Amino acid sequence: MICEHCKVRQATVTVTQIVNGQKSERHYCEVCANQFHPFNIDFNKEDNLQLAQLVSNWFGLTVWKNENQEKQTQATQTATSCPNCGYTFRQFLNEGKLGCPQCYETFNTKLPQVFEKIQAGTQHSGKVPGTSNNHHLVLKKQIDSIREQLQQAIIDERFEDAVKLRDEIKDMERKLQIGGVDTP
Amino acid sequence: MNLEHFLKNKAPSWMSNNGADADIVISTRIRLARNLDGYRFPRSFSEQEAKQVDDVVTNALLNINKGDQNFSHFTIREMAALQRQVLVEKHLISPLLAKKEKSASVVISNDESISVMVNEEDHLRIQCLAPGFQIFETYEITNKLDSYLEKHLPYAFNETFGYLTCCPTNVGTGLRASVMMHLPALTMSNQMKVITQMLTRLGMVVRGIYGEGSENLGNMYQISNQVTLGKSEQEILEDLQNVVTQIIKNERNARQSILKQAPIALEDRIQRALGTLKYARIMTSEEAATCLSNVRLGVDLGLIKGIPLGILNECMILIQQGFVQQYAGTTLQATERDLFRAKLLREMLNVENQISKEKGEEKYDV
Repeated sequence: MICEHCKVRQATVTVTQIVNGQKSERHYCEVCANQFHPFNIDFNKEDNLQLAQLVSNWFGLTVWKNENQEKQTQATQTATSCPNCGYTFRQFLNEGKLGCPQCYETFNTKLPQVFEKIQAGTQHSGKVPGTSNNHHLVLKKQIDSIREQLQQAIIDERFEDAVKLRDEIKDMERKLQIGGVDTP
Repeated sequence: MNLEHFLKNKAPSWMSNNGADADIVISTRIRLARNLDGYRFPRSFSEQEAKQVDDVVTNALLNINKGDQNFSHFTIREMAALQRQVLVEKHLISPLLAKKEKSASVVISNDESISVMVNEEDHLRIQCLAPGFQIFETYEITNKLDSYLEKHLPYAFNETFGYLTCCPTNVGTGLRASVMMHLPALTMSNQMKVITQMLTRLGMVVRGIYGEGSENLGNMYQISNQVTLGKSEQEILEDLQNVVTQIIKNERNARQSILKQAPIALEDRIQRALGTLKYARIMTSEEAATCLSNVRLGVDLGLIKGIPLGILNECMILIQQGFVQQYAGTTLQATERDLFRAKLLREMLNVENQISKEKGEEKYDV
C-alpha cells in the first residue's frame, strides 16, 4: 500500500481515528507519520500555532497568511510605533495590551477593527469626565422616590402635598425627555 | 486605620446579609478602570512614573475624608505574603496586584466597601462591593467617587474611545459590573451550560468565584458584562440587571421542581452536608465549598433552621487557604490546612446553632 499523504513511499503506519463513533483508518509512511501531530489530524501548514497567534486570531485578525503576505503585514505593522512608549501594533496583537494612553491615538485607524470583534461598537457612548452624563439616571431615581412619596401622601389624604408632588414629577419627566441626554 | 483591622475583620460590610435577593445573589461588585494622562500603563512604565502615579492618586483619595468615608493606604511591597493573600481572598485586591513589585498600592475605605487599586493593570481600579443584588446603588457609590477623582486627576480620556485602558477589553466605560450568585438547582439540573452560552451571546461572562478554573466550585458563579465600549453605563447595568433577574427566577423554579420531585434525596444531601461541616476532622476547600453550598440551599428552602445566611457567607470566605493560615497563626502545609479548616468550620457552625436555638425559642413565645 502507498502512503496516503506523500503518495510515494510505502505505507507502514496505520492511524485509526474515531469521530462521532465513526471509525476511519488511514495509512501513512513513516516519514509522513512523523510530521503528524497527534492532536492535529489534518495536514495543515499552520500546524505550529503559537499562543501569540491565538491571541491575534482571537482579535479577529489573521496575521499569518502565506509567507509573502506575512512579510507584507509584518512590514506595515512594524512601520508605526507609538512615539510615547515605542509600542508597535504587532506587539499589541501579540500581547493583547497597549503601552500607554497615547497608543490609542497612534493606532486610531487600526483599533476600530479590533473593537468590532470584541466590543459592542467602536464609539464610546457613556460617561464623559466633566459632565454629569448620568444626570438621566439620577433624575429617574428621583422621580421614583417622589412617586413613592406621592403614594404615601394619597394614603394619608394629604391632597395638597399630593398635588405639589404630582406637578414636581411632571416637571421632572419633561426634563428627562428634553434635556436628559439620552445617548444612543 | 492599620492593616491589622482589615486582616482581622472577617465579615466586611458587604458580607452582611441584608441586600435584595440575598438568598441567591451574595454580592454585587462594580469596578471602574481609569488611567492618568501622561503616564505609560503599569506594564511598561518606569519605577519613577509608578511612584508619581501612586503619590498623586493616594493624595487625592486621602484628602477626601469628608466624614462619611475615610480611606487607608497600604503599599503592596511592604506586606507579607500571607497578608496579601488574605486581602485577595476578601476581594479587596486582585491576585495580579498582590504579585506587583513596582509601586503598587491599595486604598481601602474603613468599612471595606470601597477599594482603589493603584498601578494594577491600569493606574486606577476603583471597586465597590455591596451585599445582595443592588447593581444601580453600587454603581452610584462608585460613580460618585469617580466624579470626585476626575476633578483632581488628569484622566486619560478620548472622545471616540472613551476612558483609555491598557487592555482593549476594558476601553470605553471601563466598567465591569459583576454579581456573585449561588445557583445549586440550576447546576444540579444541568442548565448552567445553556445559560453560559446564552450569556456569552448577550456579551456577558460566567466565571467561578474561587479564581480561574473553579467553574462551579460551591455552585457559585460570577456573572459580569464583557462589553465596555459601544454601550453606555446605563445600558450595561440594565442588561445585567435583566439577565440576573431572569436567572434568579429560573433558579427559584428549578429549586421548587427538585423539591417536588426528590424531596427525600434533597433533604438527605443537605443534612449530610450539615453533619459533615459540624463533625468532620479533615476538610479540603473543595469539600467545604460543596457542603456550604448544600447547607445554604437547605437554609433557603427552610429545611435547615437556625443558621443565618450571614454565617454561611462568612464561612465561604474563611475556608480559603490564606484565612485558614491566619486563623492558625502560622503558615501551613496543605494537609495541615485541612485539619484547621475542619476545626474552624466546627467552631463556626456549632456555636452559631446554639445561639440561634435560643432565638428560635423566643420567636415561639411571640
